[in-house]
Amino acid sequence: MTGGSRRGAILVGLGALLVATAARAQEPPVVPAAPLPPPDQSSPGTPDPEDLVDAGNDSPGYTPPAPAPAESALHIDGYVDVGFAKAQGNGTSFPRQDSAVPADYGVDTFAPAVNSRGDVASTDPGDGRFLNGFLPRSAGIGGNASFLLNTLDLDLRYQRPGAPLMIFSRVQFLPRLSPSGDAGRFLVEQAFGRLMPFDTQELAISVGKFDSVFGIEYLDNQAPIRTGVTPSLAARYTTGQSIGAKIFYRLQLGAIGSAVSLNAAATNSGNMVESLQAPDASVAGGPVVSARLGYELNLRPFQLKLGGSALHGPRNDQRDRKAMQRMEGGDLRLYVAGVALTGEYVRVDEDEGTGPKLTNLGTFPLASGFHARALWGQLAYALSIDSASLQKVTPYVRYEWRHAWFDGFVPITVDRLVGGLRLDLWDVLSIKGEVLINRERAGAPNVPNNVYTSSVVYQW
Amino acid sequence: MVRASLVVSCALVLGAAFINDSVSVALAAGPGNASAAPATASRPWPAEEMPLPLAVRTPQDLAVKAVAERQYLIFNLLAGGKMAYDSGNFAAAAAKWETLLRIPRLDPEIERVMRPLADDARARAGGSASPPGPVPPVAEEEPAGAGASEPASSLPARAPAVPVSGTISGGGNLGPGGTVIWLKRADGRTPRPAPARGKVITQRNKTFLPHVLAVPVGTTVDFRNEDDIFHNVFSLSRPNDFDTGLYRQGASYTQTFRKAGMVQILCNIHASMLGYVYVVDSPYYAQAEANGAFKIKNVPPGEYDLETWNEASLHPTKQRLTVGADGVRGLVVKVSGDRAAPTTLPDKSGKPRQAHLGY
Repeated sequence: MTGGSRRGAILVGLGALLVATAARAQEPPVVPAAPLPPPDQSSPGTPDPEDLVDAGNDSPGYTPPAPAPAESALHIDGYVDVGFAKAQGNGTSFPRQDSAVPADYGVDTFAPAVNSRGDVASTDPGDGRFLNGFLPRSAGIGGNASFLLNTLDLDLRYQRPGAPLMIFSRVQFLPRLSPSGDAGRFLVEQAFGRLMPFDTQELAISVGKFDSVFGIEYLDNQAPIRTGVTPSLAARYTTGQSIGAKIFYRLQLGAIGSAVSLNAAATNSGNMVESLQAPDASVAGGPVVSARLGYELNLRPFQLKLGGSALHGPRNDQRDRKAMQRMEGGDLRLYVAGVALTGEYVRVDEDEGTGPKLTNLGTFPLASGFHARALWGQLAYALSIDSASLQKVTPYVRYEWRHAWFDGFVPITVDRLVGGLRLDLWDVLSIKGEVLINRERAGAPNVPNNVYTSSVVYQW
Repeated sequence: MVRASLVVSCALVLGAAFINDSVSVALAAGPGNASAAPATASRPWPAEEMPLPLAVRTPQDLAVKAVAERQYLIFNLLAGGKMAYDSGNFAAAAAKWETLLRIPRLDPEIERVMRPLADDARARAGGSASPPGPVPPVAEEEPAGAGASEPASSLPARAPAVPVSGTISGGGNLGPGGTVIWLKRADGRTPRPAPARGKVITQRNKTFLPHVLAVPVGTTVDFRNEDDIFHNVFSLSRPNDFDTGLYRQGASYTQTFRKAGMVQILCNIHASMLGYVYVVDSPYYAQAEANGAFKIKNVPPGEYDLETWNEASLHPTKQRLTVGADGVRGLVVKVSGDRAAPTTLPDKSGKPRQAHLGY
């Protein structure tokens, strides 16, 4: 062991010791189960027992009677996400009179996203120019202010009480303007069976079409869950669904208030969203393997979650099995006193493949080599409100950055500043408003493409 | 209130002073030698005729009256039975002591001493138990909240605590079961409830048992992990928010709930676990059974606001209720079912999770 590595080992050891010490210091006053202590009547604020009236209520509480298995096996949930958005310019991020080819500049469009799905205001350059197959889906509203029915979601879940198997499907209706936007469609976003074979272990095995396992942003895919309105600039690489099998295992390390987890999957197409790859079939003929290794520190004052993710496999938008895609990433979540700091870094590399390129948006001539580096960080503060209607107010800010290029083309660097406010009402309604300031930092002309967007999400 | 207390004290001291002499004789004689106590045979028990003139002007007065009357009743039944026994009137003695023994939450020491005496008196009276005499209202009452009363012939009119019962309906798909019902005085101050003892919520099979637990303010609830896995319990419901941290099978964590209101309880590890503690700031409360039936015990007559909470209702209900001397029976209360079961439950940082997906 070299001197440097020895020092590193010592530092790691000290760090682990500090974490363990902190964890022990924060451990709750857990005691072995024993006869109940008398109520704490001596603590401040506790009235004199002589003044108190004994309720004499010895009810053990209420637990619903066990339902017949058929009664509660099927659960139907869902939500509707209605938005209102306005993008600057023509909603595309393409400058007027621009003649650069391909029209998507060899990389993604620059981010006039308007909803939780990452749909942009428009992708129509207006002149039918060559595209390289990297455009996102479009809401088709251009630069007009418009109401949007972003998503109508229906979730069906079947699980007999106490049974280890759950069947889940998520079907979404996505009405979109045609022909300038993408046509409306029904999307089977998820459909899988999940087996949790052990009561005493956090082990889940899923087969079907399911969420990504890469990073953390896929956790926010659905509008009711996402703090803000739009996903990050990196989301299109990490938050897609695909068909395959995955396994999740988490081990609690209670003595140090920690847990470690592994989420691994073998799928048709990896993590990219379906506008970039074809998730429903294996085009290249080989599985894409992805995994995230996570660590959680769950103490009472704060919660820290760290993760590292990786993906490797043939790119599933062309037929050459040797043309690979690779991703690596790291993520962080820190929660303390209502403040949530979250962030992620992603590195994406795709080998040049054999054309044509096949995605869920169509067929394109080239499968160029592609590379991206992206990161985002978000700070949000959830202020709980003691009100029957308004329950929580969450202001948030986010910074995003992306540097990407196709082989043979100039890299383009963009960033985005996002600020917004979310209101949660009752348990079923959230109202969100958001401003996106999109900036072209290098490799592409500046264009007015800032966005104001909002969303009202109702769950049932 | 001071005056009322003084009157009560004087009455009890006088009664005690009188009975001390008699008791000493009676104890010397013992039940087995009742015939050897002729000195007391003809002496009446004056307390049965002595009024208890407690003025009630405030809720505190009412509480004092209730306490005093309960003790007065116990005292009278003890002593009056002994007097009757000693005078050879075993049937009367048995009736008084049997009535005494039916008083709920009777001091175990009294129970231990008086049970054999009551049996003996009954045997001497002929062996067969007489039909229960007039059940003193206190038999349905609480020690402190009750207005104990003697048979009508022996004590002036009082305000005995009475039950309020009825049925909850509604509650949507979840039904009325578990609805928390409580009463707040509309004509005075609601007495502060004593913390309940022995309240436990168990984590078993990744569920909270019970699902809904109503407790009075100040109650300490014991959370026990009976699963062979780590659990956590936390709540974001201010001002009763708390976090137990992780704890293993067999361990427990106690949490005292000091403020009234709904407390949603969750597990930071298992996203599907959901339960409720409802903290009431009144001693007069109950939880509905699965069929909606409920009964609030020991309510002094008066004007009340009846309030309810059901997990399927967006808003608690509130209605005025007059509780008379006979209590209230057959009350029908409807709660709404307009609050959908949450499809996303937060983790302890407030971040929503898709419980059914395990996120």
